[in-house]
Amino acid sequence: MKVLALIYTDPRSWETASEAEREDVGARYRAFGDRAGECIFGGAALASPRSATTVRVRDGETFVTDGPFAETKEELGGFYLFECSGLDEAGELVAAIPGAERGAIELRAAYEEAAA
Amino acid sequence: MKYLLLLNNDVRDIESWQKLSDDGKKALRTNEIPKWNELFGWIAEQGLEVEGLELADPADARVIRIRDGEAIVSDGPFAETKELLGGYFLAECKDLDQAIELAERVPVAAKGSVEIRPLAGQ
Repeated sequence: MKVLALIYTDPRSWETASEAEREDVGARYRAFGDRAGECIFGGAALASPRSATTVRVRDGETFVTDGPFAETKEELGGFYLFECSGLDEAGELVAAIPGAERGAIELRAAYEEAAA
Repeated sequence: MKYLLLLNNDVRDIESWQKLSDDGKKALRTNEIPKWNELFGWIAEQGLEVEGLELADPADARVIRIRDGEAIVSDGPFAETKELLGGYFLAECKDLDQAIELAERVPVAAKGSVEIRPLAGQ
């Protein structure tokens, strides 16, 4: 089963982190990548939520606004896509992600067509 | 440039979806297929590299936080918002303008929103 892990953290905690703290977080993500590599199907780190653009189309007209669609203290900073047995296994995996200590990890299963 | 497009559905549409029978859900999905095929046709025409994923019902989401070494698990999506993530596209685009052209063609943009996020380090 594919499970998406959305990493929500306070962008300010990264912006205000020292070089040593950033290196430590980077090293922990790399260690996680090595350890959970077999289950990791994809993933990416996102640029600052300030660089977000939100697009809506209403009555055929496109509206483009700057910034993320929701203003929350913690913002999406990146994601992993796992191929694993389910949400329980994904939950055990993400416990090792630094973002789980500073923010929150949302787990979402991929849509699967119901068996006919 | 690589962009993540977050496809956010209106909560009201999600709630009416949840109330449908299995046949009703199937019929609604079948109805939507031509709109998505139009998008995939445009993507192919443009020669864009796009991968994507559709997510299951947000009601089945789970949120994990580690505090003082202990895992705190809660049910439901991370934020209570009027729109909830239903899927994503990861696309290689020339620039933000092309990413917006892609976003406005995603059927979800007509009822919810598509949030474009550039990847870090590019």
